[in-house]
This record gives sequence, structure tokens and C-alpha cells, in this order.
Amino acid sequence: MGSRVPIETIEEDGEFDWEAAVKEIDLACLKTTNASSSSSSHFTPLANPPITANLTKPPAKRQSTLDKFIGRTEHKPENHQVVSECGVNDNDNSPLVGIDPEAAKTWIYPVNGSVPLRDYQFAIAKTALFSNTLVALPTGLGKTLIAAVVMYNYFRWFPQGKIVFAAPSRPLVMQQIEACHNIVGIPQEWTIDLTGQTCPSKRAFLWKSKRVFFVTPQVLEKDIQSGTCLTNYLVCLVIDEAHRALGNYSYCVVVRELMAVPIQLRILALTATPGSKTQAIQGIIDNLQISTLEYRNESDHDVCPYVHDRKLEVIEVPLGQDADDVSKRLFHVIRPYAVRLKNFGVNLNRDIQTLSPHEVLMARDKFRQAPLPGLPHVNHGDVESCFAALITLYHIRKLLSSHGIRPAYEMLEEKLKEGPFARLMSKNEDIRMTKLLMQQRLSHGAPSPKLSKMLEILVDHFKVKDPKTSRVIIFSNFRGSVRDIMNALSNIGDMVKATEFIGQSSGKTLKGQSQKIQQAVLEKFRAGGFNVIVATSIGEEGLDIMEVDLVICFDANVSPLRMIQRMGRTGRKNNGRVVVLACEGSEKNSYMRKQASGRAIKKHMRNGGTNSFNFHPSPRMIPHVYKPEVQHVEFSIKQFVPRGKKLQEEYATETPAFQKKLTPAETHMLAKYYNNPDEEKLRVSLIAFPHFQTLPSKVHKVMHSRQTGMLIDAMQHLQEPTFSEQSKSFFTEFRAPLGEREELDTGLRVTNDPKDLHSVRDLEVNTSQRKAKQVESPTSTLETTEKDYEESSPTHRYLFSSECASVDTLGNVFVMPVPLLFFPNVLESDNTPLPKTEKQHSCRNTSHIDLVPVDTSEKHRQDNISCKLKERFSPDGASETLETHSLVKRNSTRVGEDDVANSVGEIVLSSDEDDCEGLELSPRLTNFIKSGVVPESPVYDQGEANREEDLEFPQLSSPMRFSNELAGESSFPERKVQHKCNDYNIVSTTTELRTPQKEVGLANGTECLAVSPIPEDWRTPLANLTNTNSSARKDWRVSSGEKLETLRQPRKLKRLRRLGDCSSAVKENNPGITEADHIRSRSRGKKHIRGKKKMIMDDDVQVFIDEEAEVSSGAEMSADENEDVTGDSFEDSFIDDGTMPTANTQAESGKVDMMAVYRRSLLSQSPLPARFRDLAASSLSPYSAGPLTRINESRSDSDKSLSSLRTPKTTNSESNQDAMMIGNLSVVQISSDSRKRKFSLCNSANAPVINLESKFAAHAQATEKESHEGVRSNAGALEYNDDDDDDAFFATLDFDAMEAQATLLLSKQRSEAKEKEDATVIPNPGMQRSDGMEKDAPSFDLGLW
Amino acid sequence: MDGNNTFDSDLIHAIFKHIWARRFRERERSDAIDATEAEIALGTTKKNRLASANANALKLSCELLKSFVSEAVQRAAIIAEAEGMDKIEATHLERILPQLLLDF
Repeated sequence: MGSRVPIETIEEDGEFDWEAAVKEIDLACLKTTNASSSSSSHFTPLANPPITANLTKPPAKRQSTLDKFIGRTEHKPENHQVVSECGVNDNDNSPLVGIDPEAAKTWIYPVNGSVPLRDYQFAIAKTALFSNTLVALPTGLGKTLIAAVVMYNYFRWFPQGKIVFAAPSRPLVMQQIEACHNIVGIPQEWTIDLTGQTCPSKRAFLWKSKRVFFVTPQVLEKDIQSGTCLTNYLVCLVIDEAHRALGNYSYCVVVRELMAVPIQLRILALTATPGSKTQAIQGIIDNLQISTLEYRNESDHDVCPYVHDRKLEVIEVPLGQDADDVSKRLFHVIRPYAVRLKNFGVNLNRDIQTLSPHEVLMARDKFRQAPLPGLPHVNHGDVESCFAALITLYHIRKLLSSHGIRPAYEMLEEKLKEGPFARLMSKNEDIRMTKLLMQQRLSHGAPSPKLSKMLEILVDHFKVKDPKTSRVIIFSNFRGSVRDIMNALSNIGDMVKATEFIGQSSGKTLKGQSQKIQQAVLEKFRAGGFNVIVATSIGEEGLDIMEVDLVICFDANVSPLRMIQRMGRTGRKNNGRVVVLACEGSEKNSYMRKQASGRAIKKHMRNGGTNSFNFHPSPRMIPHVYKPEVQHVEFSIKQFVPRGKKLQEEYATETPAFQKKLTPAETHMLAKYYNNPDEEKLRVSLIAFPHFQTLPSKVHKVMHSRQTGMLIDAMQHLQEPTFSEQSKSFFTEFRAPLGEREELDTGLRVTNDPKDLHSVRDLEVNTSQRKAKQVESPTSTLETTEKDYEESSPTHRYLFSSECASVDTLGNVFVMPVPLLFFPNVLESDNTPLPKTEKQHSCRNTSHIDLVPVDTSEKHRQDNISCKLKERFSPDGASETLETHSLVKRNSTRVGEDDVANSVGEIVLSSDEDDCEGLELSPRLTNFIKSGVVPESPVYDQGEANREEDLEFPQLSSPMRFSNELAGESSFPERKVQHKCNDYNIVSTTTELRTPQKEVGLANGTECLAVSPIPEDWRTPLANLTNTNSSARKDWRVSSGEKLETLRQPRKLKRLRRLGDCSSAVKENNPGITEADHIRSRSRGKKHIRGKKKMIMDDDVQVFIDEEAEVSSGAEMSADENEDVTGDSFEDSFIDDGTMPTANTQAESGKVDMMAVYRRSLLSQSPLPARFRDLAASSLSPYSAGPLTRINESRSDSDKSLSSLRTPKTTNSESNQDAMMIGNLSVVQISSDSRKRKFSLCNSANAPVINLESKFAAHAQATEKESHEGVRSNAGALEYNDDDDDDAFFATLDFDAMEAQATLLLSKQRSEAKEKEDATVIPNPGMQRSDGMEKDAPSFDLGLW
Repeated sequence: MDGNNTFDSDLIHAIFKHIWARRFRERERSDAIDATEAEIALGTTKKNRLASANANALKLSCELLKSFVSEAVQRAAIIAEAEGMDKIEATHLERILPQLLLDF
């Protein structure tokens, strides 16, 4: 053998040389004959008869000798001949696969810094280049490098050739493709991995376009059979894990197919464990047409330097008491069957204790092949069943010993469920007992000694090694025990991050892992996401994970081949450690046995296995002409890009085709938003303008959805807190109601006033929507109001929200005010096109603004303003002056703010001193924007318009009002008017004149208040009226010029809306007012609408509306409203109190909040008690509204909520004004309104009064309320009386419910009012009629109440 | 649905396909990242991979997109106009965007 060895090693070269030589070279060497004779023995099993025939092989030595002998001169001819010969020889290949002669002069061996040259690798690679080689190299010694070198050189030599690398599993494929790339850097555009996941049609395409394929053998087999694989171009086939090439495995099929073509190609087979038996290795050699075996052992001198120390420990684990018990039980079950078999004469040659299932299996096979001679045929079935039972039982026993009780139990249970074993064992007592015992042990936890030992090892390991860098693989044969191990590992703390790594097949109980998951697991294991893998046999082969430094074999009972593979997972980079856990007894013994047999095979493979194996000839592939010289090359290898990422990159770098069609500017724009790597920065924000989300944006064609409404509501609620915080003032509240009114007004206008409609289409839409909502249901109104709130600035919202909250029981009320404010703005903006309407709107807006300032001014700045007012309005009196002064100041400040707001626009809103004001402005602005009317700054326009209007109306009205107010009750309306005026003034210098007047009026009112505690009372009633205030505010707004009227009108409108009469009344009012009051009527209408809306929105508002409705016509409506009101008794009572809304709100839970807010504001503003303050606040608003309403009301509502106190005053003034300004109709309307209001007040007064009384009992408000009630009752009796009552109320309020004081004022007011009323009285009759109706309605209400 | 005013259905389809493909790739990536979760979805996602839209669905999509875009532009234009600008900026869009998105 020794002699042969050298010969054989060179033999391969010799073969090819010989082929060439024999064919080409004539006679030549005598030695050929010798060589052929000597080599023939080796080649006996030649697969290629022609070759063998040709060969008569000269050993390599010959060749070398040949080369030596043959001079160079000879060589050249040889070469020519060789070339031609090669052409003939490679007939299959050469036409398709040309050799690059330049490249063929050398073969390249990579020298990378990271991969030092290893002699054995170099030698093997050199061999493998020229012959089919089976490389048997221990794990972790770099088989892949050899493969890569071979592949790369064939890649170079055959520019058209295709190279295939086959690995048995997808993870391995992926691993190898990367490894090969990193070794020799085959350009990635030529490489592709083909697995079953690539669809066949795509594979066919790839087979054509790529050159280096990393495939799974199954894919290769399929593609070769289907013809999609271009076999003619194949030049090199690398087979990884070649020990699988047994039987009909795809490897064998592939090679058979290729050989059948036939084509010549290089085959390189790699394995760490060629086989444990000589036959198996020979089988591989045969199947793969191997001509050379390159075997290295760890102990070989050229390998050992690179072998890391791998400590193999076999730890013997005792079976454990539990398992032992079970095992004994099992043996009890086994014994009878074994004995029976023996009785049958079956030769079980061993102690039945130590039998293995395999041995039983063998015995059964033997029995089947040669039935026992003496055994009757009938008994064969018995024997078979005994064998079957024994096999199962032994298997269970093996499981028990190697994996613990649980897997064994599960197996037993499964077997007992069905099949012959179950039939056989169903009545076996022992097996039942065994099962019970196992169950029992399991329920106690049954810690397997192996498991605990394994955990112990693991913990020790991680104590020594860093859990972050160390990796552990635990192998187990059964998935069941994998799961057990996983469970056990989950309990030992954080340092162990374990995952399972199992095959794809899904069993009944355990689901497999797809290959994708397997890869992901490996990826994470490499990266450190896991540091322990619990693997079945799938993890045994090929996984190249450098950091694994511990392998635990949970079961020792595996073949030595697999054990080597398992061991090969470690010791790759550093020293590794392998722990084999073996149960004492059979498992240990079998392990030892198998290891021994494994060692024996190694001897056969020594020296290339030439002694033991027969090899096959293989083509040299490279013509002998070329004698490639080795060239050590250092590759600069590009970073390997995993395929998935590569694809993504391709997509990413794709330049969209459409860009070519764009102009540079467009491209730039696109880049700004889409192609910027910092895409986030320029992404359109949804939250950039939260304020805008509090208002419904203007729509083009697509209406807002319910979700939008919800968003707006939510945004409003979200921003409410800011409102409350920022604006504790009532302004916001006032504004809100005003806004609502405005909205209502807008709606009314749209519906009622064609002019408005003309002016603002958008507004119309909005208003129509709003109207629809309002009409439809309170919820809809709430939505609108909410939207309005959102539109309003946070501070406003807050107040509103608080109001809303208070209203919440009423719900609608709070919301209502804000929207009204906004809407008014919109209306104004809308109106802008129409000067009149615009003016009205502006007036309203200004009035709104004014109202707010008025309130504040009343509260805080009254004194300052009062001074001015005093100066201007001496008649009002010094007492009022103080209040007016404060008002003026406030107004001025507000005005300033407004101006700013106007100038700045949206900013103004925020910048406004009073957030509320700012908010108002903002909504206005937004509305304007929506309407499109507000190009520059809506505020200015509005302000201007307002100013103009205000100047006109306020000036006119204000004097009148002032006079009235001065007279007494008029002060409230005056105040309101004044406030409005002030606001207007603020808006513009021209308005200043107005403001002073208004201020004066306010001052008067304030003076009246100041004269007595009444101011507070006023406020309180006003506060009560807050709900009404909204309306009142609306009225106020209207009143500023026409604000009073408008306010009253809104009420009417509300009534009208609810009741068919309302419209008619409004219409009547409008026509009456038309000339001078057209605007007013419109505003009124709007206001009315708003008021109605507000009413609807707010319970108070509803109450008012109800009242109005009742008064106007709809008993049902009123009844409903009343019912609603009654539902909220407090509300009702409050409402009844006159300014009911506020009272109601206050009374209600929500009211409490409102109260608190009011109190705060009041406290800050005035010394009045909290309630009073609250009331005052509310009252202020109501008052303000009251005056407006009064003015309007004097025409209509002043009688009512405001009416009681304010209405008289305002009514007087208003009536006067109205008389002056408006025609009879307006007066009538007003009167009707007032009547209605009065009625409502009366009605409300009944219940509300009580509430109010209870609340205000201690306070003057109570008196006021009483007075209100009285007034109401009076009003119920007589409208004029109502007015008087109102006056009385005012007086009472002014005088802290002292009617006497009131009487004084009333007398004045009455005188004035009477005068006015007288003028108005004429219209009143009609109103009275309506009032009569209204009275009826109130009565109904009362009845309802 | 007049063809002149709607988007080119081929373009929309191309965009859809682009998005679908990207979705799929993202899904694949996330699958790789967390394999265990992906496993369950694998079968379905792969088959769903490139969804397709039939002609009518595409037509409808075009119409919807057109109305969406035009509405967005119109609304933004209203805002821009109100600010006195003759050019719609991103900020204008941002203002109407939340509600616009909810309206569709």
C-alpha cells in the first residue's frame, strides 16, 4: 500500500496527462505500459470505459517523468495536439464553454490578511482543481475556502461556464454564498442563490443570466430534469455535506443526470464526516464520481496547528430515582413479552434489560426473513405483535433514559391512543400503572437529572464566559426534549437568551420553523440576540458560527458521524468544549460503542483511502496545454450584500421615470418633500395648526364628515383649558354667545335675507349646515358650537368650555355661544360684500367684541371708563362714570387688541390682551377667510364696518340709549351699547366718539350699579342671564348700532324658527325696520337666528327659545323646551330668572363651573361675592345682552330675560331708538319679543325664580329675581308692565332688589321708556297680540312648569 | 367621471403597484427581523403580494383621488387666498389637512 500511495496521489494528474499523452503523443514512453499496468488496479471500477481503455494509466510519476523527458520542443507540438484533442475530448463542452487562455495560465489562490495560507488548504485546492475530489476535512478547518478557490478559478477559466454550489439546506446555502464571496469575491452580479423559494420560471431566467449558483440539491435536481439548468455550460459542481450523497438523495440524482448527458465537469465534494462505514464512503465515491479523496485528521501535522482545542467531556448522569422507578415498571411490562418471544424460540441474544429498540428491530427483521422453523404459522401473528410491543416499549425506555420522563410519557400516551400497541396494551395493568406513575412524577415536576445537569453546566459556562460573546448550542434528538429544555432555560435568568432551532415539518404538537425563521434565528444568534440555541439535528451540519464555544449534546445516542458534526459546531475560532450528557447504563454504553466504530473508519481514509476505496476517473477540464501556475492574490472584496437588501437597494436607487418629465422647479419641489433623506423634516404636519382644527375649514365640494366634526369637537375640548386659564373673563363667554348669535344670524340671513345669501355663498353653506344641524337636533347644534369653539382661541374655549360644561346638562348652551361668535364673524365677512349686511355684521362683530369688553369693562374698567363716560355723558352721572370708565378702559384695551388683531389677523387673536377677544378675532378671521371676504384682515374690515355702523347706530342709538339708560334701566343697554361703541372705538378712532357714548351709556349703567350694590346685582342677574347673555350679547352686538335690535331680533328669529311665526315675526320686524333697520333687522334676524341657535344649543338658550317659541306660537315647541327646561329645573329656574341661561347654567352642574369662572372673573373684577360675581358676570353678559335685547326687545325681548331689568331700560331706550330708528314694525316685533321674553321670563321666573331665589336669596339677586318674577308676572299680565317690571327689576337689581330704588330709576326709565314705549306702544298692540299669544305660551310653559 | 378630468388610470395603477411592492418588501423585511411572528403570516402575505385592481376599482380610485386632490387644493387655496397669497404653500395645506383627511 505504501508504495501505491504516492503513485495514486499523483495519479489524477497522470490520468489526464495520460489521456492527452496517450491520444496525442505517439508512442512515447515505455513507462506508460508499466504505469498502465500498475494503475489499472486502481482504476478497476472505472466508470468510463473509453477512458479506461485509453488510459492504461500512467501514474503521475510517469507524467512528471514524461514532462521531464520530453523536451520543450516536444512540448509545443504536444500542446497543439492537446488543444485539438481537447477540442475533440471536450466536444460537449468546448463549443459552449470556451477557455480563457490567458486566465488558464494561472490559478489563483487568495491571500487575505484575515485568512493566512494554510498548507493543507492549498494542497487540497490544488488537487481539487484538476480532479474530482472528495474533501474530508474536520469541521471548522475551512472546507469552504477550498470550494471557493476552485469555484473562483473555474469562474476565471471558463468565462461562459456556470458553477454550481449545492448545499443541503437553505441556511447553509445562504451561509455559503456569503462565505464564498468573502473569500474570493466573485462579483455578486454573477452569483445567485436558488432555492425552492425561487419560482421555477424565475429560476430558468436566472440560470441563463447568472454564472455562479448556490442551490439546494433538490432545486438542482428539478432544474436539471426540467432542462432549465443549462447543463452544457456547467463546469464545476461543488457538493457540500457530501456524506448525504447516498441512495437516491438529490446529490446522487444530479450527478447521475449530469454524467448521463454526458458532460465533463469538475466535482468537488466536501464533508467533515464521509461516513462511519467503509461501504458508505465507497458509496459516496461512486455516487459522486470521485477520483481523489483528500482526508485530513485533526492529528495530521499540517492540520493540527489550526485545530482549536476541543475538550470533549462525557458526563455520566444518573438516571434519577423517578426515571429509575418508571424504568423498572416498564421493564415489568416488557418482560412478559420478551419471555413470550423467547418461548417462541426467537433468539434475543442479550439480556433483556439492555436490549435496544434497534436490536429488537433487527431480531424482527431476522424473524421475518427466516421464520422460526418449529413455529406454527398461526403463531406468527403473536410473534409479530410481541415484537411490535417490544419495539415500542424499548423505544419508550430509551426515551426515558436519554430524555427524561416527559418525552417518554408523551410517547406512551400517544401510542396508547391508537394503533396495535394500544389494542395490545389496553388491558395491561402494568402499563397503566407505569403511565400513572409517570404522570405522578411529572406532576411533581420530575426534574430530569440531565436537565438539571445541563442547566448547571450552562450556568457555570456563563459564569466564566461573557454571556454576550459566548454562544452555546444544545443538541437534542427530539423536539419534545427541545421544548423541555427551552422551558427549563426560561427559568434560569437573563443571561441565557435561548431560542429553538428546529426543522420545518410540523408535528401534531410542535410546530416547525420555516426556513425563513431558521435563518432569522441564526441571524440573531450570530448577532447576539440569542446566546443559546436548542437545536435538533438540523443544527448539526454546516452552521458556521465562530463564537460557539460550548456544545452540549443532550443525548449521546447518536451516530459518531453526527457526533462529529455536533462537535464541529464549536472550536472554530477559539477553544471549544463539548459536553455529552449520557445516562449511565445503556446510553453511555452505546455511545462508547459508536465512538469506537467511528474511530475505526478513520483508518480507512488515511492516505487518500487508496487502499480501501475504488475511485473513478475524472476529466482534467483544463487542457494539458495549460499548466496553470499558482498566483497568490489578495482580493479586495466588496462588502457582501445579502440578496434581500440588494433588491431593496435596487428599488431605492431607481430613479423614477417621471422625473424626466418634470421641470427643474418641479423636481426641486418634489425633492423638497419626498426625496429628501430627512424626509421627516419636511413632512406635512397634521398638528401644525391646532387652532385651525377648532373651526371647520371651508370646503370646496366635499362636505365635512362626522369624523371631522368629532375632531373639531375634540380639538375644542382640548383647547378649552387654555381658554379657561387665559380668559377668566366673561368676555369669552359673551363673545361666544355673540358668535353663536352671529352664526344664527347668518343662518337666518341666509334663509331669510336674500341679501345675506347673495353676499356669502360660503357662509350660506356654513349657515345652512349649521342651521340644518341646529334644526335637526341639539347634538348637531352642539357640533356646530363645538366647531365654533374650536375656532375661537383657547382662552375663549376655556370659558366657553366651562360654560359648555355648565351647560352640559344643557350641553348645547355652552357650545352655542362660541360658534355664534365665530359665525357672526363669518356673517360679517360674508356680509362685507353687501355694505348693509356687512355693516350689520360688522356691527355685530364689533358688538361682540364690545360685549366682551363691556363685560370686562363693567367689571374691571368701569371706573376708568366711567370717568370718560362721565365727561362725555354727564347725564348718566358720576355713579355710572366709574363703571363706564372701567368699561372704556377695557374697551380701549380691547379695541387696541382688536386693532392689533385686525392688523395682525390671526396673530391678533392670540396677541390680544384678552384671549377671548383674540379668539373672537381669530374666529372672525377664520370666518372671513372662509368666506373669502377677509383678504387682508377681517378684523379691520369688520372693525371698520362696525365702526361705521357703530358710529351710525351707536352714535344714534347710543345717545338715545344713553338717554334712556341715563333715565335708569337703559343703563344696561347703554352699557352694552357703550361697550360696543367702545369696542368700535377701539377698532377705529372714529369709533372713539361712539365708544365714549357707549361708554357713557355703560357708565350710566355702571353708575346705576355703582349707585347701589346693584352693580353687583346687575352683574349677578346678568350672570344669571349669561345664557340669556349669549342672546343678550348677541343683542348687544346688534345693539351697538343696531345691536339691540339685532339681539331682539335674534330672539324673534329664534322664536320664528322654532315656530313658523318666528319667521313671519322676523319678517315683519325686518320690513318694519327695513329702511333704517334693514340692517338691524337683518342683524336681528341673524341675531335672532343665532339666539335661537344658541337657545337650542344651550338649554338656557333652548329655554329662551322655548319661551320665544311659546310666545310666538308653538306651544309644543315651548312645551318641549319647557320640558327640557324642567328637566333641568335649575336651568329652568335660572332661565326664568330672566337672564335664565346663565342662571340655568349656574344652577346646573356645569353651571357650577361657570359660576366658578364667573366668580373668579367677578372677584378679580369686582368685590362682589362669588355668587354675585358669578351672577354679575352672567348678569353682565345678560345685561349687555339685555340692553341689546332691550333695544331690540323694547321692540321685543327686552321684556324677557334682559327684559325684566334690562329690557325695560333697553327697551325704553331701544324703543325710543327704535321708534326713532325703526318703524312700528320693529317696535311691534320688539314688543312681541319682549312680551315673549317676558312671558318666558315669567314662566321661567316661576320655577327659576325659586332657584335663583334659593341661590341668591341671601343676595340682592334674589330680590332681583323676585322682582324679575314679579316683573315677569307683570309682564305676563302686561307687556308694558313687563317693561315696567323690567325696569323694576333693573331698579331692584340696581338697588339690591330694593324696588324703591328701582322705582326711582324706573320712574326715570319709565318716563323715558314710556316715552319711547309710547312711541313703541303703537306697534306694541300688534306685539301685544303676539304677546297675548306669547302669554298663552308662557302660560303653557307655566303649566308645563 | 369624464375621462378628461380624472387621473390617468395607468398612472394610478402604477402608483398602486409601486406601493404594493414596497409594502411587500417592508413586510418581508420585518418578517426577517422577527421571524416567529412572520411565520404565521408568511403564507398569506406572499400570496397577497402583488394585489391587483380591476378596471372599475381603478376607475373609482382615480375618481376618489381626483376629488381628494382637488378638494385639498381648493381648500388650501381658500386659506392662501385669505392670506392674500396667490401661491399655495405647505402651511396652507397643513391647515386644512386634518379635516380633509377625516372628510375622506
